Amino acid sequence: MKVQYVAPFAEAAINVCQMVLGTTPERGQLAARPQLFTSEQVNIVCGIVGNVEGLVLYGLSGSTALRIASAMVGQKMVIFDQLAASAIAELGNMISGNSASLLAQQGIKCDITPPTLIRGTKVKISTLDIPALVVPLKLGDLGSLEVNISLQERQHHNGLAA
Amino acid sequence: MSKRILVADDALFMRATLKAILTGNGFEVVGEATNGQEAVELYQSLKPDGVTMDITMPVMDGISAVAKIKEIDPNARIMMVSAMGQKDMVLQAIQAGARDFLIKPFQPDNVVEKVNNLIAA
Repeated sequence: MKVQYVAPFAEAAINVCQMVLGTTPERGQLAARPQLFTSEQVNIVCGIVGNVEGLVLYGLSGSTALRIASAMVGQKMVIFDQLAASAIAELGNMISGNSASLLAQQGIKCDITPPTLIRGTKVKISTLDIPALVVPLKLGDLGSLEVNISLQERQHHNGLAA
Repeated sequence: MSKRILVADDALFMRATLKAILTGNGFEVVGEATNGQEAVELYQSLKPDGVTMDITMPVMDGISAVAKIKEIDPNARIMMVSAMGQKDMVLQAIQAGARDFLIKPFQPDNVVEKVNNLIAA
């Protein structure tokens, strides 16, 4: 897991949050985890395929998710319904999409899969044995958003170049 | 008469946002597709004046849907609205037949301006 993959996601997350939520996120200290793991209640998972492959997970607490969804929809939401879930998933999709554009500028071509929303705590995603780098972002009064990036260069199987 | 727009996006939130912006600016959203396949089917049945099309969608992606719609109607007016704004993606969409490209997140004024251009072109 190269640290160079982190910067585009952090930059995209900051840009998208600024534009969508009107708040400038404050970036916390980068952390490493041996695997993709989240203890947050609401998680958006986006698959990345291309020159780099893996998963990116955006984790946030239930109350932060509701506050963000309310800000995105433009009305106070008290129940995490389908519209709130869709808004949160779209936030992950926009960050991932913008990150893919920034990666492309570095010559790393990749595509993203539609976001999946996972609710529940202590989620460990063990389909990939790739360490994860974690960027915590503070979103002012809205709460915090944790960006977990677990990517690796595309593996060439059987010694064949793709 | 209001111009009739078809909105294709897998995210309920994005369809609701685009619909609110468009209907608030004098357009009529005649249909909402949740994937590329639905967009092709709804295009045929609704014959809208313009289409906003996401790229990353399940079942059929937006670029494939644009190509299919252009096979059916070479004059179709379709604009991509996607979070994937890299040059390759824009080129693929334009080659498939899309007339314009709007990157998410967007400002409502940009949506209105681009959809106005799309249907006026």
